[in-house]
Amino acid sequence: MNDDQTPVACHGATPASPSPIDAMLAFTNGLWKQNPVFVMVLGMCPTMAITNSVRNAIAMGLATTFVIASSDALISLIRKLVPKQVRIATFILIIATSVTIVDYLVKAISINVYKTLGPFIPLIVSNCLVLERPEAFASKNTVGKSLLDGLGMGLGFTFALTCLGTVREVLGAGTFLGFHVFGPNFEPWVLFLLPPGGFISLAMWLLTFTAWRQWSARRKLQREMAQTVPAVEVAL
Amino acid sequence: MNASSDGFKMIRLMTIVSLLCGVLIVGTQINTQARIRRNQEIIMRESVAQLLPGISKQVIYGIQPSGDLKIQASAATAGPRLFAGYDASGKFLGVVIEASERGYADLISAMYAYAPDTQTITGFQVVDMKETPGLGNRISTDPSFLENFKSLDATHPIATVKHGAKKNPWEIDAISGATVSSRAVGRMLQKSVQDVAPVVQRNLNRIKRGE
Repeated sequence: MNDDQTPVACHGATPASPSPIDAMLAFTNGLWKQNPVFVMVLGMCPTMAITNSVRNAIAMGLATTFVIASSDALISLIRKLVPKQVRIATFILIIATSVTIVDYLVKAISINVYKTLGPFIPLIVSNCLVLERPEAFASKNTVGKSLLDGLGMGLGFTFALTCLGTVREVLGAGTFLGFHVFGPNFEPWVLFLLPPGGFISLAMWLLTFTAWRQWSARRKLQREMAQTVPAVEVAL
Repeated sequence: MNASSDGFKMIRLMTIVSLLCGVLIVGTQINTQARIRRNQEIIMRESVAQLLPGISKQVIYGIQPSGDLKIQASAATAGPRLFAGYDASGKFLGVVIEASERGYADLISAMYAYAPDTQTITGFQVVDMKETPGLGNRISTDPSFLENFKSLDATHPIATVKHGAKKNPWEIDAISGATVSSRAVGRMLQKSVQDVAPVVQRNLNRIKRGE
């Protein structure tokens, strides 16, 4: 998808002691550089299904953030005790527990949010991003770094879902977070609330995001070259 | 020897993790149970209050398999039930009945207000549904569709007709583009009225007294 994308497992392979920079990188990695939706293209089921309104997108994103962060921290805590052969089974058990806890908590905190997200909350367990982070990162890193990675990935996922939800709600219903944006004469573009609208919005965002990343990579390269050339001239 | 020791380690770890997960789940369930029940009750009571304007007291009746009514203390209990509403002076306003029917996507659960004296449906509210956003889900928001339920005659079998074709007071004017969901609402009300209205009529004096 992009030239400077590092393989998912590589950055998590060194169980170094967490310096503030490391911790910061672990957090910001998921937010931008390896955004789960725009870069890794993971968790497409909730991305398509739940983004027909901004409120749903934010609630789903936060629920997923809680699941990733808590299961990452727990898995990291027991990483040295888990034999390789049963690691996936153990991870799934912990993730399923986190999802069940989220299910109860959402129901207890706001039944209205639960009514909207209800069928999708148990499906968090099947979001491949939730299983990918423990396998690629938490099983090889300290609890603190894993927690930050989980939070970063979850918030990156929330950010992406909110981007999609904004486009779909504004165009499909003429509202943002329930408030009318275009006035009474706007004819909602219902297509954007339907599944095809999800695909179209995702394509638009992927295009924008990739174009921006490529543009910034080119600029970075030009800057580096501009710095290198005078140095060479001086040497000559 | 090594293989069996590894196997034992794996079983031991899985058992401990499972036990820990079990404790976490059960602990959360126990700690959130009361709040979940309270939330469900608030939602129920709010829906009933919206369907019966001017309400200040509610009595919840569980509908027994024999067709008798039994007063329930909480709205969070399961099973078929109806809500009787009274104003501040204790005057009976009507009953709210729960109903559900399969829609386009999944089950549509709703509540409707029924006036036993005039045998009409006076309000309708969707409690839960997964109908298509922007199309089927308009059954809960479309003002002209909800207008059907301001005074829907329940003495005659309720039927859903094509958008703009409503002629009789027992007909529901469907939403254009959401006919399947509109028809599901019609079927739901017809079935529910058929089952519950006789129970209400039989126990009407008791319900009016709030006993």
